[in-house]
Amino acid sequence: MMVLEIIEYIIRLILSPPIFAPIIYPGLVTVLVILLSIIWVERKIAAKVQLRYGPLYVSKPIGGALQMLADATRFFFQEIIVPRDADSIAFLIAPAASLVLPLLPIVFVPAAPSFVAISVEYSLPLVLAISALTPIVIIVMAWAANNKFTIIGGIREAFMVIAYELSLFISALAMAIFYGTLNLEDIVSMQKSLPGVILNPLAAITFFVAMVMATSRLPFDIVEGEQEIVAGPFTEYTGILYGLVMGAGYVQLYILCLVFVELFLSGWYPYIGLLGEIYPALGGVSLFIKAYLLMVFIVFLRSVYGRYRLDQAISIGWKSLLPLSLASVFLSLGLLAAGVVI
Amino acid sequence: MEQSSLTFRYKELERAWDGEKVYEVFIGPQHPASGHMRFIVRLDGDIIVNVEPDIGYVHRTMEKLAETKEYIKSIPLFERATIIDSNNITLGYVRALEKLLGIEVPPRARYLRTLLSEINRIASHLYGLGLAGIFINHSTMFMWGFGDREIWLQLAEELTGARLTHTYSIPGGVRSDLPQDFKDRALKAIRYMERRLKDYMKIFFNNPVTVARYKDIGILKKEDAKRLGIVGPNLRASGVRYDARLVEDYGAYREIDFEVPVREEGDALSRLLLRIDEIKISMDIIRQVLEKIPDGPILAEKYLRLIPPKLRKTMEETGRVKFPGLFASLRPPPGEATARVEMGHGEVFYHIISDGSPKPYRVRIVTPSFRNLLLLRYLPVGHRFMDFPAIYGSVDYFPPEADR
Repeated sequence: MMVLEIIEYIIRLILSPPIFAPIIYPGLVTVLVILLSIIWVERKIAAKVQLRYGPLYVSKPIGGALQMLADATRFFFQEIIVPRDADSIAFLIAPAASLVLPLLPIVFVPAAPSFVAISVEYSLPLVLAISALTPIVIIVMAWAANNKFTIIGGIREAFMVIAYELSLFISALAMAIFYGTLNLEDIVSMQKSLPGVILNPLAAITFFVAMVMATSRLPFDIVEGEQEIVAGPFTEYTGILYGLVMGAGYVQLYILCLVFVELFLSGWYPYIGLLGEIYPALGGVSLFIKAYLLMVFIVFLRSVYGRYRLDQAISIGWKSLLPLSLASVFLSLGLLAAGVVI
Repeated sequence: MEQSSLTFRYKELERAWDGEKVYEVFIGPQHPASGHMRFIVRLDGDIIVNVEPDIGYVHRTMEKLAETKEYIKSIPLFERATIIDSNNITLGYVRALEKLLGIEVPPRARYLRTLLSEINRIASHLYGLGLAGIFINHSTMFMWGFGDREIWLQLAEELTGARLTHTYSIPGGVRSDLPQDFKDRALKAIRYMERRLKDYMKIFFNNPVTVARYKDIGILKKEDAKRLGIVGPNLRASGVRYDARLVEDYGAYREIDFEVPVREEGDALSRLLLRIDEIKISMDIIRQVLEKIPDGPILAEKYLRLIPPKLRKTMEETGRVKFPGLFASLRPPPGEATARVEMGHGEVFYHIISDGSPKPYRVRIVTPSFRNLLLLRYLPVGHRFMDFPAIYGSVDYFPPEADR
């Protein structure tokens, strides 16, 4: 009987939200699945637009869906080269940090009603603040590699941060002001009937563009200016270290998409009660579906746009996004003053 | 002499270039987009103060090699200089050789040369536009340009038997006649391309990001373009109406009604749009060639007579030229000849000196990319670092052609 009790205890432990949320859903395992699938989706969509096949020959019957698994395996067995002049400790730690830091906020992101690893009153600013740490790691990376291209890439990253970060925070706060809370769970529960994007479309647009900038997706993939600076801060990375830094961008995209859906697209509503009875997190599956579709849309932008110039991106950040985000705050205040109540 | 603004700005910025402030970046020679060529770019902050093009990575001593070969063998050699535009680049050589030999080309052969030249020009422009796309990381334009180029390569293959290395123009004519149904397939390709050009405008040329990156970037003024000796679409985008097809009488261009597109702005976007205009004109020329093409032999009478009657009969049946034995040792009389031909990238110039032996004494090639290379030294100066790939993309520089 002891063995059964232990097994039961382990299962209960795994299924308890503080463990299940960061490890399985919406945490690590989900992130891994997303990494393996979204890159394939991105390449397939781009291929469709560009009249090509895209990944195909690894697992031909399912359209090459296992291509990313093959790539990841290759990354694992590739030689890792540390440049002689690089600061080796920072050089080796930074890629791991660049994957972990964007993943950390997941413990504060609720996946279903009262299903969150660590429940705090200030989850929205916490999530944004932690995800804002990633650029620092990228700059460390750029500096550690001690290479001309990486340093230019690092400087570009620093410039980009100041271009988007303010707008990202302000447009998120505009929603917090309107709903009168900084707790993501409360924000979602107030959107049950009406998603936030209808009430404050300005904030949604600003947050969206700032999000695309933050995750270095086209048309703002300026940091990895392949055509002039090879791969930006990631130039010197090889093997699994490169795999990590490449994955980091998608992880950040995933987290910010979750936040976007919770702020503007009414999160886990429509809540599926039937699934929720099996396990609480499953009921909020519409949050995941919406976030995934949003990610697909963002990676699709790659087949539409080229890359903006650095100074153009910065001026978009300061001249358009910042005033728009401030306007969205006033819009929220106006809605409150007009007595719009959810 | 009054200094034009371009060189003035160049000198002024170069003076500001003192060793300590400047950050040197090496672009190439292995590079996702630049190809076999290196640039030493010097930056002051984000502003380019000096660009040093370091060419010669694909130098194959073509001019010297030509001196060691019989005349006819240099045609497949020169074709390798600009593999994407091979009929145009060899046509200049063939024409200079014909001048030395004193041969008249039959009209049908002239029309066929024009036909392949224009097919090549379209393919070459699509290649350039595709690269212009990837230089600002617009992968769709890149893939579309290269994908649609395939249509024209297939047309060229039907006509000549080879996708790229056609070796089509030979002294006195062309190597093969028009295949059956070629007209229908060519017209179909034109209709397809016209549809695609509209898609290009939608996704690339009217795209706000593309306009932001290419408009008012790397402006080449009319006077500068003339003074630096720029050729081809880069020259015409600066408002100069110059085209070797207009000034030289070759191919069937005198008998065809066509307009050479010219744009006034001289910026990177107008250089790209001019190539789109030229693709349209080229398609119009192809239509006219297919309408007007006369019947008759495709090789000069002088050489036809040298072919044994039996072979001549198979030649008429298959439409493919059998080389007369004389071709192995063509001996032009001592003398010199020059010829100019308009390629996709611009004007190519050949100068052949013959000493009466079966091999040329000297062959000089001035390729358009070599002349346009100067732009990469002057235009980016004063722009931001990220403009450098955009300017490179707009110039349509082809390193193997410049290096020869």
